[in-house]
Amino acid sequence: MKLAEALKVVQSTPHDAPGLQVALLCSFTPLHLETFLRAHLCKLFPGHSPTVQTGLYGDLIGNLQRVVGVSAAVVVIEWCDLDPRLGLRRLGGWEPSQLPDILSEVKRNCDLLHNGMAAVARDIPLIACFPTLPLVPVSFSPLARASEFTLELRSFVASLGATLSHVPGVRIVDSQRLDGLPSSRRLNVNYDLSAGFPYTLTHASALAEVLARLVLNPQPKKGLITDLDDTLWRGILGDVGVQGISWDLENHSQIHALYQQLLRSLGASGTLIAVASKNDRSLVEQAFTNRDLILRETDIFPFEVHWDAKSESVKRILGAWNILADDVVCVDDSPMDLAEIKAVHPAAECLLFPRENPQAAYELLERLRDLFGKDTISQEDCVRAASLRANAELRNGMDQVSPSVSGEFLRQTDGRLTLSSRKQPLDSRSLELVNKTNQFNLNGRRFQETDWQDWLNGPGAVFVVASYRDKYGPLGKIAVIAGDLLNSDSSGKRKLCVRTWVMSCRAFSRLIEYECLRWLFTKLDIEELEFDFLPTPRNTPMQDFLQQLRNAPPKPQCHLSRAQFMRNCPPLVHSVEESPNG
Amino acid sequence: MVDLESRLVNCFATVFPDLTPPEIPSVSMGSLASWDSVAGVTLLSVIEEEFSLGIPPDDVSGLVSFELILDYLRRTQNDARA
Repeated sequence: MKLAEALKVVQSTPHDAPGLQVALLCSFTPLHLETFLRAHLCKLFPGHSPTVQTGLYGDLIGNLQRVVGVSAAVVVIEWCDLDPRLGLRRLGGWEPSQLPDILSEVKRNCDLLHNGMAAVARDIPLIACFPTLPLVPVSFSPLARASEFTLELRSFVASLGATLSHVPGVRIVDSQRLDGLPSSRRLNVNYDLSAGFPYTLTHASALAEVLARLVLNPQPKKGLITDLDDTLWRGILGDVGVQGISWDLENHSQIHALYQQLLRSLGASGTLIAVASKNDRSLVEQAFTNRDLILRETDIFPFEVHWDAKSESVKRILGAWNILADDVVCVDDSPMDLAEIKAVHPAAECLLFPRENPQAAYELLERLRDLFGKDTISQEDCVRAASLRANAELRNGMDQVSPSVSGEFLRQTDGRLTLSSRKQPLDSRSLELVNKTNQFNLNGRRFQETDWQDWLNGPGAVFVVASYRDKYGPLGKIAVIAGDLLNSDSSGKRKLCVRTWVMSCRAFSRLIEYECLRWLFTKLDIEELEFDFLPTPRNTPMQDFLQQLRNAPPKPQCHLSRAQFMRNCPPLVHSVEESPNG
Repeated sequence: MVDLESRLVNCFATVFPDLTPPEIPSVSMGSLASWDSVAGVTLLSVIEEEFSLGIPPDDVSGLVSFELILDYLRRTQNDARA
């Protein structure tokens, strides 16, 4: 982005849009970095009016201590923050005898920065960027040779980054994302000496874009649907047979092995993996049974292998996963099949596997990692695919018994519900549930991470997240309820205004929704619930549930009294406990 | 040269969006309150970007009005041609 374009983007943002306050903390003059950051935030947060709060020149530690009233903090550290002698604007000496003292000062400042950043990250997301500029020629060795001094210096910074990466709420810029611009073209000596701003415009724009993306922290896609022939492996199974397909160096098909390896890693990180292939089902079964694929049959659910249109396969897979097309990525070597999928499922991300071009295929692997990248791997990520299978098993069990004995069936499942109302640190899984759940969803509202955190930090905000397990295995965190506790107008008794309520479809048919309401009435000692309900094209399960409880169709701001609930609630059989973490 | 002037007007309009195009050719740092030091650095950066040039620090102090900047750009371009 050019500076002129950035200024125009900032100027065109409507001033009456909801604000988004982000702190930019650095010790240099923020100047154009501030403009670029604001412009990239405007682009990534449409409908918001981002503002960037900056601090005092030359006082990064103090700026960290003064952060207040923002939704996220961006900390940009350059070498001069670790020791002013490593910048261009201060003259402390570069004599060899001073190098040990510089190292001591850098180590001391790394400790101070760690404490300052960890303190900020307790309340808001913190994005940290470590030095991106070339080191000044302080060491006595030639520039091409890494000296003991520079290696030790860089190890202090690496150590600071590694330690901070364990702190919840901290996101660190991967310097590799900035490597498109050589470090020699990042420093603008003229700007630095005249205005205290050390970056070239190109570098400032690139850095601001990466920082803004980390502020946004987009939700990962949920599922990947892959083709088989010339995608998962090289060769057409129907033509070359089970022994003719390959994914190795010897047959020049190693890129397919790398693709399998990535898919296996994604699966182990909670991404759902399915196969959609026009193929002979028995041959595919033989391939997975007789050949030692890196991606195993057990990593995949479901298989759609037949000669029907790919879009039909995608439709069935979405049904089995119970997610929408905009949550999936389809990978195929056939542009025609991808176009056919896209025509029916326009929201799906359709990516071509470039079978003849390993370089382009490798870039696809990087793109996939980015689309499915996440902050942490949660317990739910580890059990997602297994619980989908288990849920199918449970539903089969439920289908085989009459309604009168289904309560007894549920009792035998030994369901255990754990409820937690802990708000800090921000639980990314809860927000993911709110933003991805469609069917059991009170109103379909989605939240940016910053808005969500600001709301929950407000007075009177109530937040409950429910985890569940039964004899079929753990489902992890499956429901989120958030609202505001209010005093009723007439009686003076308290009521909860439920603004958000979602439950994963994996938890259906277990009466967990009733158990959650019973807990709210009891725990919060409230007489009434008010639901900020809105009908959506997909929230029929929520509509049916509210209708059953209230004996009336749900409508916006509808109510449910404790007495109404007790009358219409079926017998509940779960064991309920509160999380020791609050 | 007309093109150069209109491109410079665009640079000013980008940095000072409250100015109308007819007002721009007569503005100077003294006559425009919003032309402070930060706006000045931003303006020169936008001009450097637009005209693909680097303005030496010694030249910066003289670039305090539209007219002076326009003269400077004309001279720079003539020098480059020569």
